[in-house]
Amino acid sequence: MLKIENLHAEIDGKEILKGLSLEVNAGEIHAIMGPNGAGKSTLGYVLGGRPGYEVTAGSITFNGEDLLEKEPHERAAAGVFLGFQYPVEIPGVSNVQFLRESLNAQRTSRGEKPLSGAEFLKLARAQADALGLQQDMLKRPVNVGFSGGEKKRNEMVQMGIIDPAFAILDETDSGLDIDALRIVGDGINRIMRKPTKAVLLITHYQRLLDYVQPDRVHVLADGRITRSGGPELAHELERQGYAEVAA
Amino acid sequence: MTLDLPSTREEAWRWADLGGIAAAAALTPITRPDAQFLDLPGAKLLFVDGVLDDAASDLHRVCVGDLTPGAHALGKRATRGWSLHLDAQAVAHPVQVVHVATGGDNHVAAEIVLDTDTSAQVVETFVGAGWSNRNTRIRLGKAARLMRAVRMTQGAGFVTLRDEAELGEGASLIGTMLAAGDQGVRIDAAITLAGEGGYAEYGGALLTRDRLKQECAVRVRHAEPNGQSHQLWRAVAADQSQASLAAAVEVARHAQKTDGEQSLRGLLLHRTATVNLKPELEIFADDVKCAHGATVGELDARALFYMASRGIPAPRAKALLTKAFVADALDRIADETVRAAFAADADAWLESAL
Ligand SMILES: Nc1ncnc2c1ncn2[C@@H]1O[C@H](COP(=O)(O)OP(=O)(O)O)[C@@H](O)[C@H]1O
Ligand SMILES: [Mg+2]
Repeated sequence: MLKIENLHAEIDGKEILKGLSLEVNAGEIHAIMGPNGAGKSTLGYVLGGRPGYEVTAGSITFNGEDLLEKEPHERAAAGVFLGFQYPVEIPGVSNVQFLRESLNAQRTSRGEKPLSGAEFLKLARAQADALGLQQDMLKRPVNVGFSGGEKKRNEMVQMGIIDPAFAILDETDSGLDIDALRIVGDGINRIMRKPTKAVLLITHYQRLLDYVQPDRVHVLADGRITRSGGPELAHELERQGYAEVAA
Repeated sequence: MTLDLPSTREEAWRWADLGGIAAAAALTPITRPDAQFLDLPGAKLLFVDGVLDDAASDLHRVCVGDLTPGAHALGKRATRGWSLHLDAQAVAHPVQVVHVATGGDNHVAAEIVLDTDTSAQVVETFVGAGWSNRNTRIRLGKAARLMRAVRMTQGAGFVTLRDEAELGEGASLIGTMLAAGDQGVRIDAAITLAGEGGYAEYGGALLTRDRLKQECAVRVRHAEPNGQSHQLWRAVAADQSQASLAAAVEVARHAQKTDGEQSLRGLLLHRTATVNLKPELEIFADDVKCAHGATVGELDARALFYMASRGIPAPRAKALLTKAFVADALDRIADETVRAAFAADADAWLESAL
């Protein structure tokens, strides 16, 4: 589904990703772990097409298409979802409006019929309920005044509404208490654990992986994948630290 | 023609686009554009090049005729126009005035006089091309209330407004301006809270593009105690345009317990555009509360990428953020039909400018 080959990317002329290769098949959940500053978020942003993140070498194909050719909004319409480590606040734009615009923009570009206000609201309410996000937060401006945990739940509500084929979830577990972690973990399984979908789960800790079992675990250090393995690799990392395992 | 206007060396005119006004006055005639009234009850006045179109108008309580010209450089040009005078306890439906310009210059005066406890709503719309100049004098008696909303949506040329308002005891004026066309604009206003406990909101949104210049030059004077004023202006400038917001609050020595707020914010859609802000406070009383904020910025790149990552194309994302930016200023309009019409004008402008 996603194939990254020898990816080099830089920000402001500074190389962050230094020859990263990774392949994720449909039906799989991959975890990416690694020390702070390794380039995990950078990988997410490059996949999403954030301006300023320049790819200098390598390739990314998504379902056989060149992902790097596409504009950020086209990548979303193609089925790529990026769950942000730090979700952005948008004063003056309500969550409902933001999400309806998002979903309908994607539907329109795929040649599907946009959802009506009522249809959309029904969908949004169901997703908010499933993730324990209070209904009135749908009406509030996007992420404005939300706690860290509420922002992360809101990311998952968005994912539930958009129903993407592929999700990159960047530290979705940080800032969550143990109950929220379980709810978010259940949400990821419910929305994304399907034979036609795949997930790249960026995390620091083993604890989210107790709820969302990864098929593969990779260590990202200094802009490269330095080690890959099965779920047991996450436990090894938790016990011994990155320095030991990634070397 | 000679403009006979102050020069830009005068502080109050420093950002005025005199060349733009002269060019607008010299615009060659265009065919009369379509102009529509909002679906509201009440008086409907259609002025074509400053002359009332009788057949298309319905005056209700409004009179049309000669009015005393003002003293102001802009205001003195208008000698004829419309007036609304409400005696105590009278009620009136909204007054709609549509100003159509088909080239050249046109000047109209207006007088709104509301006696004790009366209230009125006025909605004005500018369409067409040319220099449209208006002088509006407002006198509000004790506890009288006026809501006035003006939208400037000409396809070319210039609109200048000179507003002079005097508020009596406990009177309230809510003025909301929207410039969302392809014309230059000068909104020139002097508002005096002449009675105790007056309330004035005067603000709006200027949306400007190409090489146009739009500005407001507003002075609110608190002459008596316990008054409240809010000047909330938003300017959005695209291309090589220039938007200027100059808002002054003056508090006289014995106008204690005055609460004056100024919020001036500019948004640059392109780096080649300019926004000038000039908040001004002249306070001679000691027990007053005057808050003011003035900022200029660009659209939040992080928010734009966040929206793109959810599938929203860049022009739409920019339009949503810009709309949110001007919403504060337009939300002041109480009537839902009017508010929706103004929001639609702002939307249409954004869709085509981005
Ligand atoms: N906007 C930026 N400009 C310059 N350097 C940046 C920028 N953003 C991140 N970096 C650098 O890129 C490296 C990788 O950052 P990041 O991808 O956020 O790491 P991680 O998510 O693994 O903690 C870090 O050294 C960081 O300082
Ligand atoms: Mg990170």
